Amino acid sequence: MKRIATLVICIALALSLFCVSASAENVVIEAVPNEGQFAGEELSILVSTGWMDNRYDPTIERFEETYDVSVDLQVIPADQYQDILQSNLANGTCPDIFWIQSNPFAIGTQIVNPEEYCIDFTGEAWQAIMPEARQTSCVYDGKLYGLQLWHNSPEYVMVYNKTLFDELGIEAVPTTYEELKAVCATIAEAGITPWFVPGADGWQHQLAFFQIGGVYEETNPGLYEALNNNTATFAGNEKMLEVLGQFKELSDLGYFGEDWIGTDSTNMVNEYADRNIAFAMANSSYIKQLQEEAATGDEYGMFLIPLGDNDWFPTNPAGPTMFGFKGTEHEDLVRAFFQFVCTPESLQEILDNSPNYTNLDVNVEIDQHWLPEEEEFMATVNPDKMGVSVLQTGTKYTNDYWMQFGQDLIAYCQGTIEANDVLANMDQNRADGASVVGDPNWQ
Amino acid sequence: MNKRKIYPQWFLLLPLILYVVFFLFPSLLGVFYSFTDWGRNTAREGLHFVGLQNYIDIFTSNKNYAAGILNTLKFTLISNVVKIIPALFIAILLYEGLKKTGIYRTIFYLPSIIPFVIIGILFRSIFNFNNGLLNAALEGIGLGAFKQKWLSDLGVVWKSIYGVDAWRGIGYVMTIFLAGLSAIDKTYYEAARVDGAGFWQRLWHVTLPMMRGAIMINLVFGITYGLKVFDIIYVLTNGGPGHATEVMTTYTFQLYSSGQYGLSTAFNTLLLLLTAVVGVLIVRTMSRNEEV
Repeated sequence: MKRIATLVICIALALSLFCVSASAENVVIEAVPNEGQFAGEELSILVSTGWMDNRYDPTIERFEETYDVSVDLQVIPADQYQDILQSNLANGTCPDIFWIQSNPFAIGTQIVNPEEYCIDFTGEAWQAIMPEARQTSCVYDGKLYGLQLWHNSPEYVMVYNKTLFDELGIEAVPTTYEELKAVCATIAEAGITPWFVPGADGWQHQLAFFQIGGVYEETNPGLYEALNNNTATFAGNEKMLEVLGQFKELSDLGYFGEDWIGTDSTNMVNEYADRNIAFAMANSSYIKQLQEEAATGDEYGMFLIPLGDNDWFPTNPAGPTMFGFKGTEHEDLVRAFFQFVCTPESLQEILDNSPNYTNLDVNVEIDQHWLPEEEEFMATVNPDKMGVSVLQTGTKYTNDYWMQFGQDLIAYCQGTIEANDVLANMDQNRADGASVVGDPNWQ
Repeated sequence: MNKRKIYPQWFLLLPLILYVVFFLFPSLLGVFYSFTDWGRNTAREGLHFVGLQNYIDIFTSNKNYAAGILNTLKFTLISNVVKIIPALFIAILLYEGLKKTGIYRTIFYLPSIIPFVIIGILFRSIFNFNNGLLNAALEGIGLGAFKQKWLSDLGVVWKSIYGVDAWRGIGYVMTIFLAGLSAIDKTYYEAARVDGAGFWQRLWHVTLPMMRGAIMINLVFGITYGLKVFDIIYVLTNGGPGHATEVMTTYTFQLYSSGQYGLSTAFNTLLLLLTAVVGVLIVRTMSRNEEV
């Protein structure tokens, strides 16, 4: 039986690898030929801490050597970055390249006036190395402004104790809400908290609602667009109401633990290690942390959050993104730099120098470093169900009211407000957010 | 009258300028902004006068801001009761009955010098349902039935906040009462004793009337603190669970963080009005009683 299972897993892994490589378009970008045209120039880059780290260093060194130029990297502490960037943009003293934490709406809300501040890269071949979902964070008003090179590890899916599941006789991970409920019942009977939800953190529990954005869009095609045009609301959305109801039901059944609202995540690793909990929403890299810190020998795996019978991967196109400053005196050098980092050699170099990331989300054939658990998990995901962003970055102003939604969700679980109030409050918050930036769709 | 003046009037000038520039003017500016749509986008779109719209929003929004105002008033009332009455008795006890009062005074006063952030971390840990010291202690002494979800149960959370606030504030209130007690001439008590007055009669007819000034100071400080309360709520519950412990200042903070500066200042203006009205009422009432 074990042999058959192993064989099945191997075939699945092989298929998944095939699928991954087959799905990549393998766009190959070549660097601008060096004809001495940039010799002696200096390229300045403004970036916040953690967005480039050391992973660009070898590429930047090669760039300097290739074109006989120097790169001035200005790394600013994260808490000061926005202020410095905004003042630099406003007074025209911005370095040649600047970064922002982009998402599909960030260009409009953070840079505000990209036509005035950003180099228009429309037509550049390197656009194709970015998956379509990421391009939405780089394009504004039909024009390409940014380049986003970021990883695509599964974020905030269910990380579960595979060994524990096996010992409790749970043969398959839940893929529907009813299956989830049944699995929770089995785990709870063993005296273990099925789903660890650290409500006291204030920002984690609502992930269960937002990470499954694809299922809302699938149920109501065009929902995201309608929400962004202010022609649809959260309130009254049947699927969302269903998911909220399921969340509350699990809470009422005690499957999140006796006091999930008063529990934070500081003790989460120990809870896993002591087998007080069976699964929680976490990133794939958390498995590595569990293996290192808990060191219990238990194996871990991942499955999609099955609320609302979700089978959509939580694609999140947000990430640090590079832009060229329009007022630069070295526009050709900036263009050459963007092109240079998009070559397969540079991309491989960037990934190889990123110990915390296992992959780069690009349409280029490079040697990715997926964890075995990630590969196993990705093999279970339908590639057709990866094209919709998570709700919080796929719809405008939603992410800005993350914490308030979390508070409302707790109030609903405690019975002080109704499910539709939670959604109506989000509508009100989004309207407030739109009014703050003067969004014409809300006027 | 003028001959008895010790300092010239121009000595007032510097503090007056500082007060006007750094307190009065920003406060009035805040009141002005509460009638505008001041927000994150103002630099680009300009500032517009919106009349009473921000105030209307506060009382008609489905976010139940009104509950935050009620919670503020409730906190102001209860937190003062649970601090002032025990502090008064502790002060009397320390003043009359105990030896080595300096040590006790220090012990009671110490919590009020601990920063709120540390208090928050400390008590969130103590109140933790599964691993907290309080529930573990209750279980340890066989009172496991009294275990509570101290910060997440709707019926308990406010009591936890009052408890922590009292723990922190009683020492401060007590110190003011001790100062008041030390100012009472002991002959009053001796005369009362000669007349056969017991503890409660001495308290009612001597101590409390003579402590009117200290009580007024504690009331004014306590009420203004209660109306402006933010730190203790923010570090313990951040307005939760849900919105159960939201107060005016937590809403102000949220609105400011989301770029709705105009609405946020409207909240602050309401708070200013409330504090001013209550403060003036107390001072007037107490002053009238003093005159009587």
